[in-house]
Amino acid sequence: MDCRDLTTLGIERLTGEASEASRRELDAHVDACESCRRDLERLEELWTTLGRDPEPEVTPEFRRRTLGLLEEEMIRGRVKAFRPTPTFRRPLLQAAALVAAAGVGYLLARGLPGRDSASPAASPSWPVAAVTPTAPGAAGVPGLAGNPRLANVSYRPADKDGRVAIGFDVTTRREVEGKPNDPEVAKLLAYLVAHNSESAGEKSRAIEVVSEHYGTNAAPASPEIVAALTSTLRADGNPGVRKKAADTLASFQSTPEIRAAFLQALKSDKNPAVRLAAIDALAAAARQSPDASTIESLKEKAVDPQENGFVRAKAASALKAMSF
Amino acid sequence: MNAGSDDAGLLERIRRGDTDGAAELFERYAPALLRFTDRMLSDRASAEEVTQEVFLKVISRAHQYDGRAGVASWLFAIAANACRDRRRRERRAAVVPLESVAEPRARTEGVESVIASRERRAAVRQALSELSEEQREALVLARYHGMPYAEIAKTLGISVGAVKTRIFRAVETLKARFSEGESSWTAAT
Repeated sequence: MDCRDLTTLGIERLTGEASEASRRELDAHVDACESCRRDLERLEELWTTLGRDPEPEVTPEFRRRTLGLLEEEMIRGRVKAFRPTPTFRRPLLQAAALVAAAGVGYLLARGLPGRDSASPAASPSWPVAAVTPTAPGAAGVPGLAGNPRLANVSYRPADKDGRVAIGFDVTTRREVEGKPNDPEVAKLLAYLVAHNSESAGEKSRAIEVVSEHYGTNAAPASPEIVAALTSTLRADGNPGVRKKAADTLASFQSTPEIRAAFLQALKSDKNPAVRLAAIDALAAAARQSPDASTIESLKEKAVDPQENGFVRAKAASALKAMSF
Repeated sequence: MNAGSDDAGLLERIRRGDTDGAAELFERYAPALLRFTDRMLSDRASAEEVTQEVFLKVISRAHQYDGRAGVASWLFAIAANACRDRRRRERRAAVVPLESVAEPRARTEGVESVIASRERRAAVRQALSELSEEQREALVLARYHGMPYAEIAKTLGISVGAVKTRIFRAVETLKARFSEGESSWTAAT
């Protein structure tokens, strides 16, 4: 080596990258070269000094905040993973509907009852619509008081006139068409959310449709829809479904009924993502119209030692934003 | 730094939605990542934010980890990118009134005045902050994290030769920076 290689070889030795031969070569050189020996000493001194820079430590507060965030993110991931992907399933559902319709046709041919009666609740079996889809207007909605099972439900997005369509099988295929603010359409959607879903996927899809068509920037939600969503938020067994109901309710104009459902969710829902959604919704509503029970609940959450860290932080931050 | 298959197992648990896996990864790597981001950004609050970002990105991208580099390298690569993004944003956002811009330090000020007026830590941080971002990344990984050149190369996506060059230049810059106040520097250490 010559003197120009001193720094390179010195660094390699300090970083543990130098080979044994290279170390020996460096030692031999500095033994014979006073200038390089001094340079190497300065280099080692610099390296040592850099190493004395105190190491920043993870504080308990940073650990708490970050673990809370990570937990929240993991929960979000699980909720996302739960969400159904209905698009590719739709053809399968339609195929199933065709099979069901064929079966229904056979039954019809055998003379089962005809059109919907005036008192559907009194009838244990479903009245049959002879013609589908229906004409303009939201006609064709069957009586729902007997909690009939509507199978193979399908949704058609709004057309150029803003009309949506909901297809389903009762004893034959029906399709109800109308604008979201048509009472019959709203009633049917509320029914699909509240009573008709046998699986979390079906219920989620019904809530998604509600979310697409109702809210502050769309049609006002009917009382039936609000009731269907609040009961879902309060009692559905699936956290993903409850979260979806919470998100949809949060997009509606707040009412005492909605606020009460969120307060209950904040107090007792087992899922932190749902409680977080409740905090967001309650805080947004309280900014419009301050409410003592909301503020009290947020204060309790903000200091609850049993609560998830991120929920506590969110409650505190919501109170701060409201100047409490 | 080489937790190997254990680390890969942790990522697999995270992919499956295991919250405890994410917490274990945090406990294992947060100290090192915080040290790295703190030295790269010279600001504790920004370092904490970026470290949090790194872990959030790891959760959302766990499925993208392909095992070609070690998990540690992958994490530091995410951290290095996050630090670069943060500095880029700060540079764009920084609108500093002309009158508040400090005059360049006079050559005569040297290390003596720095050490005289600041703690050793501040002097080291000052010196590090005067390195280019590329030089600092390589030097910090080598000096403070004990990463071999080959691993630094994988982490930063450069060749081993480029790693050597960056560290060499960083050391030369630091030597020049402290050359004038050698006695004070030594005394401070």
